Amino acid sequence: MSYEKEMMEKMTKGEAPSERLDIPLLKYLWDASPLSFMTKESYHEFFKKISVLNAFSDNEVRLFTKFLHRREFQTNEVIFKQGDSGYGFYFIFSGSVNVYANQGPQNIDQGELVIKLEKRQYFGEMGLLEEFNRRSATVLAAEPTVLLGIFKPDLEIMLEQYPVLGAKFLRETALIMANRMGQLTREIVGLKKKVKELEQRI
Amino acid sequence: MNRNQKIKLYMFVFLFASVVLFAFMFPRLTLPFGFAYIIYLMTKPLTLRLTTGSKRQRLGYFLMVLAGTAFLFFPFFATLYNVETDFSGFSVQLSELQRILQDKFFAFKVKVFEKYGMRINIDPVSFIVSKLETHGTDLLSKFPNYLSLLLEWILLVPLFLYFFFMESHRFRRRFLEAIPNPIFEKSYVLFSQFNTKFGEYIIAKFIEATILGSVVTLGLLLIGFPYPFILGFVAGVTNILPYLGPILGVIPGVLIALLSKDPNASMLGMLMVFAIANLVDMILVFPLLVSKIVNLHPIVVIVSIIIGSQLAGVVGMIVIIPFVAFFKLLFKEIYKDLSVHL
Repeated sequence: MSYEKEMMEKMTKGEAPSERLDIPLLKYLWDASPLSFMTKESYHEFFKKISVLNAFSDNEVRLFTKFLHRREFQTNEVIFKQGDSGYGFYFIFSGSVNVYANQGPQNIDQGELVIKLEKRQYFGEMGLLEEFNRRSATVLAAEPTVLLGIFKPDLEIMLEQYPVLGAKFLRETALIMANRMGQLTREIVGLKKKVKELEQRI
Repeated sequence: MNRNQKIKLYMFVFLFASVVLFAFMFPRLTLPFGFAYIIYLMTKPLTLRLTTGSKRQRLGYFLMVLAGTAFLFFPFFATLYNVETDFSGFSVQLSELQRILQDKFFAFKVKVFEKYGMRINIDPVSFIVSKLETHGTDLLSKFPNYLSLLLEWILLVPLFLYFFFMESHRFRRRFLEAIPNPIFEKSYVLFSQFNTKFGEYIIAKFIEATILGSVVTLGLLLIGFPYPFILGFVAGVTNILPYLGPILGVIPGVLIALLSKDPNASMLGMLMVFAIANLVDMILVFPLLVSKIVNLHPIVVIVSIIIGSQLAGVVGMIVIIPFVAFFKLLFKEIYKDLSVHL
């Protein structure tokens, strides 16, 4: 039974929800409340606005945030380099990042700019799922940026402690991967078409 | 890397080195801390299962600490009397052992003289017995010190254990926050892998020692060999040391067999029991439990044990193995990264 259902059942029966006050939970609910006077966006609001994590209940978002690591980066600071071993998946909490690919063989430059990712976008999901992942691109902070990262050991603990949450998160990550794969397939089909057209012209 | 990032990295390395130095400087604090950490890692899977989602987590941790302390220290006090009786019986027999060994060595000297015409002028038996007597007296004179140290551990270990259960999550988070960005991902994953490997290794060795000790005790009881419990205990404890352990474990048995009325028969029976126990360990227990966790070359293991004994005595001999396995993992990762970037 989910936490929300348990609470609802207790309240309808007229029972006290808990014998003692759970201060961290209260603090979290205070931060998560839409009526809260806090100007800063809470983790709860942030994840509620990320479409792929829509299936998470409020309590699941609360538990999920416990496994995240907040990392702050300065402008042009390297988040990871192409070819590095990858272990984590990052959400952009604030700021933006630049993704570069086709890095030079001598590691002199960071390669060509492929895409700029903004707030609420995510990257590095392959690092979380693949056993021996090598980063396929270099990522640099485009401005002072805060990232929320989840790493392989966190996923293992999550699956052990909260298997339902872990499975849901894995499903969402698989969906992200599937979307990316679909995008790649469409690009490949488009490129093949162009190659064919060029071949016919020649 | 800009100037600020470099300063942050150097500060972190300095802090880490200071903690390691502190640990070496204050072993009276480090050893119970390390012991509590080992118990924490061993009981963590069970504790997580019992306390996840529970509203009475604090009480759960407290009960786990109480149970862990009782489990570890009660058998020690309960068996202290028996072990002491066994040891006092053994010390009475020491002079008898000296006489038997001297007789055997004299017969050996005569045989060598008759066969090769060589005279052996050394007396290793008296030397070994006098060393044993000196160490025994030394141990007895230091007994109050050891007892006070034990009492200190009884106070400190549960305290540290409770700290690990209650605060380790927060402490871990603070430690991870302090790791600079360029080395964060790798350090975090290696730190987690080390924790998992170390915990698994200690649990596996504990189970292995218990199985081996039980087989030896049972076998010695069946053949009616004296001191089966203490010999089983010694065999179990020494077995924690890879390769050298089984040899060390059999020595007290050999000495006791020499004291019996029919040394040859009891020696054969005792050696068979030890051989069966070690076979069970080699064929069943070690491949199933330990080998997958620590994949090191035998020579690396032996050299590591010697270095571990030099650094931190018996404790060093036991804990050095997972540390070496961790360093192997670390160097592999660094080498992999260098081969990609160079």
